[in-house]
Amino acid sequence: MTRRVAVTGIGIVAPGGIGTPAFWDLLAHGRTATRGITFFDPSQLRSRIAAECDFDPAAHGLDAEQAERADRYIQFALVAGDEAVRDSGLDLAREDPWRIAVSVGTAVGGTTRLENDYVLVSHGGERWDVDHERARPQLHRAFSPSTAASAVAERFGAQGPVQTVSTGCTSGLDAVGYAFHTVQEGRADICIAGASDSPISPITMACFDAIKATSPNNDDPAHASKPFDNNRDGFVMGEGGAVLVLEELEHARARGAHVYCEFGGYATFGNAYHMTGLTKEGLEMARAISTALDQARLDPTAIDYVNAHGSGTRQNDRHETAAVKRALGQHAYDTPMSSIKSMVGHSLGAIGAIELVACVLALAEQAVPPTANYETPDPECDLDYVPRTARERKLTSVLSVGSGFGGFQSAVILTRPRE
Amino acid sequence: MSEPQDRRAAVTGIGVVAPNGISTDTFWKATHEGLSVLDRVTREGCERLPLKVAGEVRAFDAADTIEERFLVQTDRFTHYAMAAADFALTDARLGQADTDQSPYSIGVVTAAGSGGGEFGQRELQRLWGKGSRFVGPYQSIAWFYAASTGQVSIRRGFKGPCSVVASDEAGGLDALAHAARAVRRGTDAIVAGSTEAPLAPYSVVCQLGYEELSREGEPGRAYRPFTKDACGFVPAEGGAMLVVEAADAARERGADIRAYVAGHAATFTGASRWAESRAGLAQAIRQALAEAECAPEEVDVVFADALGVPAADRAEALAIADALGAHGTRVPVTAPKTGTGRGYCAAPVLDTAAAVLAMEHGLIPPTPNVHDVCHDLDLVTGRARVGEPRTALVLSRGLMGSNSALVLRHPSAR
Amino acid sequence: MSKITVEELAALMKKAAGVTVSPQQLNDKPDTGFDVLGVDSLGLLGIVGELENEHGTPMPVDAERCKTPQQFLNLVNNTLMAGA
Repeated sequence: MTRRVAVTGIGIVAPGGIGTPAFWDLLAHGRTATRGITFFDPSQLRSRIAAECDFDPAAHGLDAEQAERADRYIQFALVAGDEAVRDSGLDLAREDPWRIAVSVGTAVGGTTRLENDYVLVSHGGERWDVDHERARPQLHRAFSPSTAASAVAERFGAQGPVQTVSTGCTSGLDAVGYAFHTVQEGRADICIAGASDSPISPITMACFDAIKATSPNNDDPAHASKPFDNNRDGFVMGEGGAVLVLEELEHARARGAHVYCEFGGYATFGNAYHMTGLTKEGLEMARAISTALDQARLDPTAIDYVNAHGSGTRQNDRHETAAVKRALGQHAYDTPMSSIKSMVGHSLGAIGAIELVACVLALAEQAVPPTANYETPDPECDLDYVPRTARERKLTSVLSVGSGFGGFQSAVILTRPRE
Repeated sequence: MSEPQDRRAAVTGIGVVAPNGISTDTFWKATHEGLSVLDRVTREGCERLPLKVAGEVRAFDAADTIEERFLVQTDRFTHYAMAAADFALTDARLGQADTDQSPYSIGVVTAAGSGGGEFGQRELQRLWGKGSRFVGPYQSIAWFYAASTGQVSIRRGFKGPCSVVASDEAGGLDALAHAARAVRRGTDAIVAGSTEAPLAPYSVVCQLGYEELSREGEPGRAYRPFTKDACGFVPAEGGAMLVVEAADAARERGADIRAYVAGHAATFTGASRWAESRAGLAQAIRQALAEAECAPEEVDVVFADALGVPAADRAEALAIADALGAHGTRVPVTAPKTGTGRGYCAAPVLDTAAAVLAMEHGLIPPTPNVHDVCHDLDLVTGRARVGEPRTALVLSRGLMGSNSALVLRHPSAR
Repeated sequence: MSKITVEELAALMKKAAGVTVSPQQLNDKPDTGFDVLGVDSLGLLGIVGELENEHGTPMPVDAERCKTPQQFLNLVNNTLMAGA
């Protein structure tokens, strides 16, 4: 007897939308949160734009010590976690702590803190033999990729398996997929799952500059993220965090919880092709979609909405379009497919979880978020990308896909609760 | 297939790049002989740092094993991973021709705690010393935690489920468990493990914030868990990759099953809360044994976490007693990592490799540098102990608060 | 400004992409693809970046899309000469 897994709580820190109401309002109105970088002087960079969060840790319940001790990406995870747990209505103190798990994804961990302290100890990049006396205490713990999961677990008293998943830009989908397996296979009844990244720092921006993956459209930041548009010229960096409470369905029903949706399936494959390159065919992503459909026992025609990876790079959007067509067949043409990265940018490992929260909200609101900035069709991207305006639609099953450096191709299916 | 399937996860190949050996044979010889290779840190730029002793991988020349371009394009931790994966696949007699036939049936899972620190520091120096235009294109793929999984998958053409756990030390066991579960769900084989390279100057500075890190300058005294002289742990680099394969797939191709990954569990009890780790580790052991359908008395050897911090050592000794009962004070316990250092996520993977080899060779390796144990444990010290271990329990705890236990069974076990 | 020679390109391929090719080989078979030589898209971006930093001038956007050393040298040298 397979255990079924429900989503019973969601929380989010996204650019232009901290908290689920503000986030959905942004998506539903097709507003963009991309702008010129304000966190540091970006004048040296090729891409000087990003989707930044106006985030005040104190306003979201973090004390000064927590803010000082932990990198921004960890703060995002804690704040999103607070909202998700509150939303779930769970009284975690009454749950068996060994049965509460945590799974957090991050692609790069706390690069802001890592880089700030590097500058201190290296005397501004002069010294290879760095000066340890300038480092702040607990430095590794302040930025390590596993600190977010650890901090979330401590905050909510989770004592079950606590995992950090770091598969580049599919980290968010994979962390939540891992959580799904954890609950489905009985290692926990509840898993606080999500992802967080705060990569808007000089080193991360510079490394995507070096491969020309980010948009150089510095003159029009609000319209720079143009997934699927023929004039797209790269992704716009973002940041943020999102958390979903995954719960064994009977556990949720027994306490009369509100069930947003059920977790239908999850699969991931490697493309074994190139660390950053994608094939034209999208075979591996198509296989991930088909495998997730099989797990959910759904026909491809059951998919009502595809939440795209849609990063806005030339190759990604074609790869993904090909993959979705391959997996859904003719039905792909009848299925709206949009990229919220047009609005909130691409927050690397976090975005997969942010997009899953968008999917949960889409199911709840029975509406499809748009692809902002979409104006000019690309002949090779010929699906319905929901240009600029959100659309009401009856949604029962939705698909979210992602691609990551390293060749990772992942797919998640969420469905409205079945009896 | 109409026959009942045996989806038990088995270890069929071991590949090691460790401070004490760049092959499974040399690693095992050094391990069972109790050789300690802990030594003064020699890595350029680390001379003035207060970390004096580490387990460096010195006998490894990446150019011997991997293509030249990877020396420029990837970090040291990925060099180790690619080499260890090659060794493991060769050991499992899984050739390119085998895996090319069904690329989706084999995947890669690694655990990575420190990522490509040396590569990253070099690029940070370019950025801050010269300007952003001097950051090279490979920074985007060499430094992040997923680099090794991605490179191994691409280099060998593996399209099966690929994953990365970027956790604390216990993540090494979690990666093996992740692989075992992927195998149970239907993937034929996963190359799984961890390699780390945390000895670049800035990486070391980051670790200095841990009071658990040993600052002792005398290699023989720097890492002595379970003794009154315990003064923290010594970090290390290198690691191991294992081929974790479905038993039926292994049998079908005539491969030897070296051991079964029979049970695993993980818990969390808070970062550096070592007293609390007692309950967490005991719980992980109980759950892992339950999954393996293994009675406490059946455990023939325990590979300890052995942090080398008195409170943590005490908690571990008590956890073993709590979970195994009276058997806990009688079962041989060992910690060969005192001879190589503790390579973060890689440490428990090397322990797992040693546990499989111990069962094969009927020999429990000793705990180098450790004498006068001050806990109620039968710690194997001095020389290897002859025996016939059939069930091994590998333990790991991490600086972020994770506890993990893995149960391995020899194929001849009950 | 002087032209980029096959010797310089060979040295850049080694430095930026970790690929060893002799200048002789580049001379003899200038139409062998970068992919065949083992230089991937990131490697070519690295070579372009090195040249830009060295010469202090941007390279044409098509430089990073060149398929062969011959194409690359022609394009880059034309640009350098035009800017000289």
